[in-house]
Amino acid sequence: MTSESASTPGIDGDYEALISTTDVELLKRAWRNEKAAPEILHFESALIQRIRGQIQLMEETVEEFSGSGIDPLSVSLYQMDLDRTQYLLRSYLRIRLQKIEKYTFHISNNSEVQSRLSGQEKGFARRCNEDLERHLEESVLSKLPDNYRDILKQSLISEENDMVPEPHLDTFVVCKSRRFLGPFQLDGSDELLEMKPDDLCIIHYKSIRERVQEGEIDLV
Amino acid sequence: MAKFYDMDDIITDEEVVSVVFEKAACGVGIDPSSETDSVEVGSKVELPFWLAHELQLRQAVSMNVPTCFNQKTRLEIQADSACVDLRSRCPFFYEFGCKIAPLVGVRTIGPLLLSAFKSRYKEVLTKAHTAAFPAASKHLTILTKEETNLYEAAQSSMTAFKRWRMGGPRFQRASVLGRKRKSTD
Amino acid sequence: MYGRKAFQLVKELASGEKGQLTPYNSDLFDQVTAECSQHHLELQSLIRKIQEEGLDVQTTRNSEHYGSLIHHLSLVRNKRCLMAYVYNRAEIIRSLIWKVGPVLPQEIQERLSHTEEEYFKRHSAALQSYMSRLDLDLTVDMVPPKDPYIQVRVLDDIGVVLSDDKTTNFARHSMHFLKRTDAEQFISRGLMEELTD
Repeated sequence: MTSESASTPGIDGDYEALISTTDVELLKRAWRNEKAAPEILHFESALIQRIRGQIQLMEETVEEFSGSGIDPLSVSLYQMDLDRTQYLLRSYLRIRLQKIEKYTFHISNNSEVQSRLSGQEKGFARRCNEDLERHLEESVLSKLPDNYRDILKQSLISEENDMVPEPHLDTFVVCKSRRFLGPFQLDGSDELLEMKPDDLCIIHYKSIRERVQEGEIDLV
Repeated sequence: MAKFYDMDDIITDEEVVSVVFEKAACGVGIDPSSETDSVEVGSKVELPFWLAHELQLRQAVSMNVPTCFNQKTRLEIQADSACVDLRSRCPFFYEFGCKIAPLVGVRTIGPLLLSAFKSRYKEVLTKAHTAAFPAASKHLTILTKEETNLYEAAQSSMTAFKRWRMGGPRFQRASVLGRKRKSTD
Repeated sequence: MYGRKAFQLVKELASGEKGQLTPYNSDLFDQVTAECSQHHLELQSLIRKIQEEGLDVQTTRNSEHYGSLIHHLSLVRNKRCLMAYVYNRAEIIRSLIWKVGPVLPQEIQERLSHTEEEYFKRHSAALQSYMSRLDLDLTVDMVPPKDPYIQVRVLDDIGVVLSDDKTTNFARHSMHFLKRTDAEQFISRGLMEELTD
């Protein structure tokens, strides 16, 4: 794949710059980041809206072509292109749903994380939370002594919410910088790191988290 | 507690440690050698880690080094780490080691875990990529749960890679449905 | 030892095959909740003793205090095991929606408790309502696409199915050339298999 090969200046570089800004390429990048990040990232609402428009357009084109006697090979090429985009979109949305399911309690108690979700995802997260809470209450909590019935605290004397599973931000990820990043400090340590474009790095997610959100570093 | 629902963590916390009571406790049935329902100061009792840990935090007991980290085991591991059966000693040897190390004040536990893991990890990966199934299964029985997870991860990525290279069916029956009919491969 | 039964409950689930559901062990589960009530009774009676001696419950550190502490810790531990049992099973139950669709086969349904069945239904509905608001079915396209069409063999009598304005009779053993997204759900439910050369 062209965008994956090492970049050389000149024509190749321009071509790469061009191809890496198509919406499908942007979706692929968002999908990879979402797949590798332990926590849920900001929903790419503008991009997703554009992609859905393009998918609709492609579907219309395929339908039109296959009705008008254009040779089947070109039609099937269009169809394959469409299929790939559809897969990326569905997979992107699915990965996010699974994170919402997994960290229901964490999300419902944290407004910052909630702000990363789309409107429809927020609705889903709310129902997830209600359903799981109700299920745990009926199956377990209602059968325990009074002071031990809370769903977020182990007992009445717990000072904080000590029952909420959270994403493991300490986990290691493989990542790649989009451009030269001069020596910068890793979050939570004194070490300095310098990254050249396309250098692969294995690093604590926590320490590059901000830069992934800002789009400077991509996860692989 | 981010790991509240983590089953592996729950299982690790059930490891038995021996403690000496520094405070008496009554109305409890945890000391099988006691004829009453109370534990006297100085009694030596085996408790699961979850209970021992909380009681130590409140200075009610003091914890002894568990057998899987005592001098004898440490020497054995140092001698030939790759062949020691760690699973029968403690299924979550590394996780438990990390929990116990700061509590019992034995400085050598940390370096021991690291060196054991390093030398065994190499073995795990080589076996995962090369060994035929029957040969590997014997080796598997001495691995801790953490090592088994790594082994399985390595092996499934190898299988996935082979399948990708050879082609073949990409869609499969959901594995939760059980295997009613015989496979046609 | 305190908490041993609750631990066995978790152990039983954890030692099952990954992603597979063991039958809901309501027997052992109820024994653990009974143990919780027992701990609570003994804890209360120890605290009453402290109060009867005219001592302050908050600051007293006598043998009754440590006894009640042990009961409290055991209760908390039991709660953690019970919650983890139901929570981790719920995680598997949710994954079933992706694997086999919104209707559970009998063999799996038998392993669920009544509240788990309810949870499965409610969660499927939540997912369904999300997808219909999105106007996109996310349960297809689970594997990255290669060819838009694949060759399949029918393994069970499915009967006549309508798709894309065409009706096809999927009789047992018949072979078809189908759109990937149409075949996918039949394959994961074990009704068809993909053929490759």
